[in-house]
Amino acid sequence: MNRYRVLLLAFLMLAPLVVGAATIEMHVNGLVCAFCAQGIEKKLRKFPATADVVVSLEQRLVAVALKDGQDIPDAELRKALTNAGYTVTTIQRSDTSIDAIRSRLSQPKP
Amino acid sequence: MIRSSEILVGAFVLVGPACAFAKPIAFANGTTVMVEYGAGTMQEAQIFYAPQFNYSVGGGHVEFDSDVTSETERITYARLNYLLHRWNLESAQANVFVWGGAGSATGSTFSGTEFAVNAGAQVDYETRRVYASLKTDLQKANAFSIRVDTLQLGIAPYKHDYNQIATWFVVQARQYTDDIHHGTEVAALLRLFKGGAWIEAGITNGGKLQAMAMFNF
Repeated sequence: MNRYRVLLLAFLMLAPLVVGAATIEMHVNGLVCAFCAQGIEKKLRKFPATADVVVSLEQRLVAVALKDGQDIPDAELRKALTNAGYTVTTIQRSDTSIDAIRSRLSQPKP
Repeated sequence: MIRSSEILVGAFVLVGPACAFAKPIAFANGTTVMVEYGAGTMQEAQIFYAPQFNYSVGGGHVEFDSDVTSETERITYARLNYLLHRWNLESAQANVFVWGGAGSATGSTFSGTEFAVNAGAQVDYETRRVYASLKTDLQKANAFSIRVDTLQLGIAPYKHDYNQIATWFVVQARQYTDDIHHGTEVAALLRLFKGGAWIEAGITNGGKLQAMAMFNF
């Protein structure tokens, strides 16, 4: 019985490391022009861990969908966006799928 | 002979307004190709590659045809563009660009080929609904010194988002030195862009076509 509890505990502790976040959402200042935001998408798609990228000028949001079990450190994300000429204000990780984010972004703002 | 002080002044002084293309640096590792038809008085083509977001290198060719005299000048140049400063605000962006370069010129006012220098600056401010740009561009050789100053003010009828077509109504005011054109040339322009493609066309107060196309990749 105790052995099962130990295994369950170990699974619960290791699961977040194995599964990881599905997406990374970043709020970015200076994101006013789709023509210019191409650079951000181009840079983020170069990360091997990137599965997809969504950019919203309306929400000043850049979302990166991660490949299963992979991640991109915050420092590398900040560096990528700074080197693209923009300023990152927040970086958040979540299990929300990129399709759910797309759907959320397509809803009219209240 | 061009004096070094003139080159320095040309290269570093920020003078008046600016020209019809957007930004001389698109994004890091990006290439920008631009062609402009400037109402019959100025035709220009440029190509730049940006190794980083704050500078780009490349070159261009510009032709001036005076509508006052019979003067024509043709300049081919290599150029470095530098983003001096960028302000990334919550819902806006502002930039100060400077550039300088050198090349060769031929023209109707002199024989053979002359060494020419190019220098300029651009200040712009942009939100998703308004745009303002002030740019100056100097082409100088022994036989001529042509400065083109352009002011653009734009308004967007709607806020475009990524992957949508952006539409802008732009008013442009431009002045030339060296008798290329007398007075201020005003143009009403429609600007459309999506992805890496940008086109802009309109008509001047003299009834001439003003058009520009730009591609980023």
